[in-house]
Amino acid sequence: MTLEVMAFPGALSILSLAMALAFLRLMRGPSLPDRVIALDLIATLAVGMIVLYAMAIDQPVLLDVALALALLSFLGTVAFARYLERSYRP
Amino acid sequence: MREILSLVLMAIGAAFMLIAGIGLLRMPDLYTRMSATTKATTMGVGSILLAAAVHFGEPAIVARALAVIAFALLTSPVAAHMIGRAAYFTGVPLWRGTVIDELRGRYDRRTHALESIRFPELERRLADLQVYRLRVPSESAVIGKTLAEIELRKRYNVTLLAIFRGAHVIANPEGDVQLLAGDELILIGSHERLREAMDLIYQSS
Repeated sequence: MTLEVMAFPGALSILSLAMALAFLRLMRGPSLPDRVIALDLIATLAVGMIVLYAMAIDQPVLLDVALALALLSFLGTVAFARYLERSYRP
Repeated sequence: MREILSLVLMAIGAAFMLIAGIGLLRMPDLYTRMSATTKATTMGVGSILLAAAVHFGEPAIVARALAVIAFALLTSPVAAHMIGRAAYFTGVPLWRGTVIDELRGRYDRRTHALESIRFPELERRLADLQVYRLRVPSESAVIGKTLAEIELRKRYNVTLLAIFRGAHVIANPEGDVQLLAGDELILIGSHERLREAMDLIYQSS
């Protein structure tokens, strides 16, 4: 089935494109929170890519990696937010 | 059949994530960028994980995929809220076209506690009256006019209690006070008349 053969590389390249856009935002900023949400989106995109790859190579065990990455990215974002808020002196 | 469903879900997920990427790059300020990314990523990751659940179809894997979806739905709003809050406190600017910033002036910059101006006792006892807080938009027709010229009291039966102007408060303002763009007015009056007064203030010159 050609559709399926096309589907995984297609979806992965769309996600790669989205990741490239997020990288542009990461480089541009301009504020630190902008970079944090760009990193957050990159991690989310990585989760999506891992799940797609798990499907492509028929390895459901990779879903655990996705879960771990989602957890880490959440903790990272929360830590960044705490750090930003605490370190700011008006 | 299952393969087709899985492919459709995958396509939806990829599309949402691409939209998130475009939104992150193109939106004008941090808050609108966050609005684009958080919703789209929850939906994007959700769809792709559902696609995986359909693709594998084994109960153990479906349960795992659903667990990741539940986790994403729980954590994504929390993380977004924390970042948005931190950004607002650290003074990340809002887009120039922002219509209303309801948090402005309502929190303590030092303690980060949020307060809102309310008159609970008054509002309970004067059931027909409402207290409104509204901001004079930058192209309002009332800018530069004095309170005596606007005649809020005479024309709308609305009382202006105070004006919040930047850091200071003009309490019980006199008739010769001029309104400026960005002033926040604390008005008291009946609901309908306040609406009419609001129309006047929001009218552009």
